Amino acid sequence: MKQRRRNKLLIESPASATGDIAFNLIVFFLVCASVQPDSGRKQTIPKAETVPEEKKETENISIDLTRTTVAINSEKVDIRRFPLLMRARLRDKKAPEDRVVIVKSAPEVPYDRWIDVTAMIEDAGGIITLQLEEEREVTLPE
Amino acid sequence: MKIKRKVSQATVPSMAMGDIAFNLLIFFVILARAEDDSHLQWTAADAPNLENAGHSLVSVLVDKKNRLYLNGQEIGIAQLAGRVESLLGNRPAGERTVVLKIHTETQAQRFEPIIEAISEAGGDLVHILEDDKK
Repeated sequence: MKQRRRNKLLIESPASATGDIAFNLIVFFLVCASVQPDSGRKQTIPKAETVPEEKKETENISIDLTRTTVAINSEKVDIRRFPLLMRARLRDKKAPEDRVVIVKSAPEVPYDRWIDVTAMIEDAGGIITLQLEEEREVTLPE
Repeated sequence: MKIKRKVSQATVPSMAMGDIAFNLLIFFVILARAEDDSHLQWTAADAPNLENAGHSLVSVLVDKKNRLYLNGQEIGIAQLAGRVESLLGNRPAGERTVVLKIHTETQAQRFEPIIEAISEAGGDLVHILEDDKK
């Protein structure tokens, strides 16, 4: 004889918990989204030092950077040819101290342009160093 | 005649314990991250071939309004090198990463002294940039 099953219970989560579940899900995804890793570019810049006047003449390549132009050893070049020229100049330089490239930027150069140019120098094998103008307070006699 | 009072039990349902624990966990995770600079407004510059910046103790940021922040707290350029140095302490090379987040339109007169200060403090500089997929 077939026996019918009694007490068929429908088990479902209580509807009052839906708000809690939704809140927890929102917080979980919010935290997940905020811990996304950053991507970037490493840059090794030698520690700054004060160079005495008589030692300023070096054989290192110097780059003059403005908002619109770029010059290698005071010679203006087309930005499209810049990586090629840098690679050619750094080709024979094996020692790290010879591969130092001095970057002198005009005060108004924006960060995105500076990053573009310094990335090209580093890709060509150069080691960036910055030349900053030192600020000095001068008291004028009355 | 004495009428017995009906005693009803009011207990916290043990089923909710998991939810409570989870909410507490999230709360402390958010608190721990309150020192970061995710609330600051800046736009990263574009560059190709980027790598993962990895974990860093120190974050230096220049926002759209040209203000300088160290780990989310506003700071002056004069104090930057000293503060970065004390945060890095005697950590060995490879654990001295300083992430640098500079708004794309910031000018050299602002960001170059910052880069110099970080290198002075002995930090390994990582510029945070946006991947240029053009």
